[in-house]
Amino acid sequence: MNTKQKRGSFLSIPKGDLVLRSLSFFYIGLLIILPLLAITTESFKGGFANLLKQISLPQALFSLKLTFLLAVIMLVINIITGTATAWVLVRYRFPFKKVMDALIDIPFAIPTVVTGMMLVVLYGPKSVVGSFLDAHGIEVIYNKPGIILALAFVTFPFVVRSVQPVLMEMDKDMEEAAQTLGASRFTIFSRVILPTLLPAILTGAALSFSRALGEFGSIVIVAGNIPFKTQVSSVYIYGEIESANMQSALGTAVVLLTCSLLILILLNYIQRWSNKYEA
Amino acid sequence: MARISKIMDKKVDKTLKLYYHMVMIVIRLEYLLRQKMKKNVTLLLLFIFISVALIDCSGDQGSSTKDEDTYIILTLGAYTVPKEAYQKEIIPAFQKMWKAKTGQDVQFQESYMASGAQSRTIAAGFEADIAALSLEQDIKRLEDKGLITHNWKNKKYNGFVTRSVVVMAFRPGNPRQVKEWEDLTSDTIDVIYPSPKTSGGAMWFVNALYGAGLKTTEQKSGQKDPAYARMLLKRIQRRVKVMDKSGRASVTTFENGFGDVLLTYENEALLRQKQGKEFPFIIPDATILIENPIAIVDKNVDKHGNREAAEAFIDFVLSSGAQRSFARYGFRPVDDEVLKEFESQYPVPPLLFDIHYLGGWEKVTRDIYGPEGTWSQIIQELAHEY
Repeated sequence: MNTKQKRGSFLSIPKGDLVLRSLSFFYIGLLIILPLLAITTESFKGGFANLLKQISLPQALFSLKLTFLLAVIMLVINIITGTATAWVLVRYRFPFKKVMDALIDIPFAIPTVVTGMMLVVLYGPKSVVGSFLDAHGIEVIYNKPGIILALAFVTFPFVVRSVQPVLMEMDKDMEEAAQTLGASRFTIFSRVILPTLLPAILTGAALSFSRALGEFGSIVIVAGNIPFKTQVSSVYIYGEIESANMQSALGTAVVLLTCSLLILILLNYIQRWSNKYEA
Repeated sequence: MARISKIMDKKVDKTLKLYYHMVMIVIRLEYLLRQKMKKNVTLLLLFIFISVALIDCSGDQGSSTKDEDTYIILTLGAYTVPKEAYQKEIIPAFQKMWKAKTGQDVQFQESYMASGAQSRTIAAGFEADIAALSLEQDIKRLEDKGLITHNWKNKKYNGFVTRSVVVMAFRPGNPRQVKEWEDLTSDTIDVIYPSPKTSGGAMWFVNALYGAGLKTTEQKSGQKDPAYARMLLKRIQRRVKVMDKSGRASVTTFENGFGDVLLTYENEALLRQKQGKEFPFIIPDATILIENPIAIVDKNVDKHGNREAAEAFIDFVLSSGAQRSFARYGFRPVDDEVLKEFESQYPVPPLLFDIHYLGGWEKVTRDIYGPEGTWSQIIQELAHEY
């Protein structure tokens, strides 16, 4: 527990630390806080009532609803597949495990525009998969399933990568103890494993959710971007900026921003809660 | 090559200077710390702030050109579509011409972006000497910002450099038998055009549809019928499944096999054909004439001191030689003489109209795309159908 500094006068802090600290404050301020302040003040320039009016425009409201709905669906998928993937990677041994482990991070490495393109190539009308789906009347690309797919792809690593280390550190003792006490596999999972993993799962979920809210690059290619049908907030914001409606773009942006911020605060609480749990 | 290396030198020079200042800051910082500075952090931050500001100033001074006599730099801020024409024919030809005339080399710095984005970038401080954009409105933005102070329309051809028309591209063999806009209202057809919200250029497509509605009714009954035009636009908008963010993106979607008909510019379709692709299209009887503006950005040429060359470039792109280059790359020339040479390639549709037929850009942006505009209303009405 060396992380907490002794409380004392400002000068008791070693000079090197002081420089590092002020530099990182300065950097974070310049990099993150200033732009945030800029966009927030800009959006409130027209007054709070105006901001509210911009958000409640039917098109803006719809895009927000759609964004949240699709992000929630993506989240459910990601929590299940992400946890399962982490489980498989930690608990089983199989050939090419290292390769698979490396593949998990691919979605982070690929530019999101390329992600969109890949999905269009795979599910588009020219491919085998696409024409098969088309023949069965299933619309993936340029419709909502395509957006969910893109979101799931882009945010996939979050849950896996936050669950994986916890799983690795988890002792098998407790599971074995439960087993000897006659617990069923389901009971072991729900009463022993899940509570330990939950904070990690929630952390991954929160990160992927806030990432999904702002995703643009892949969606603008994969979705049809038809207002009131397949237009999500980020694309709506882009459209409003392009047509010089700064105020309505900012209104929607502030909603997304606030949500992301709330999620991150929530995340902080989750982490504190899990720390308490461990202690 | 020598010219390029000169520019490179300048860039290296600038980077080196920046690096030097960074090092100096670190050294000074260390020195201050050794002195056991007992003031608080704010002073430190203030110091860094000032130093950064210093870097900025000195960097600017360092980059001023020294060899102005031997060569000049022109910065072209253009929209994406005419890139090939500029790069492959017009700029090399101008460089040769200028060299022969003045003995001076012209180095071009070119930037190609979507028209609206380019216009905003220039407005935000990108120091383009010449703005070649898709829409009048995008030039007007620079005027409103005070960057263009002269009357750019007071030129040959009213400040326009190229023309085009809106066409329908279809699948080889025209399986859906499309000929007129009316054919796009069928219940089974999939139409593609970009969103006029995200792509300023895409407004041409919606304008074409709406204007065609007016024009055809006017021809039939002698009276423009806005109700019919609105209906036509609505019925076609209903058939649109994908609205990409730009015209180019729409073409890609179409080439990926999606949709039966694509609304695009004639020059875009001709460019694809020039590249050897199968890209059949038809010019509907009633369609809109697109005119693309070009203008000198006064503030920037005055700052760079290259007005003479910039003006020569504008005159050059309007000359018959450059107009022929544009024509070869699919644009309709503004020069009538050149247009005549390419008559067979660029037939004039019988019911051609331009933006003034719809009341000019200001009226169009308000009455079609504004919050209460026709297109915005149609989008909301269609919402109930999804």
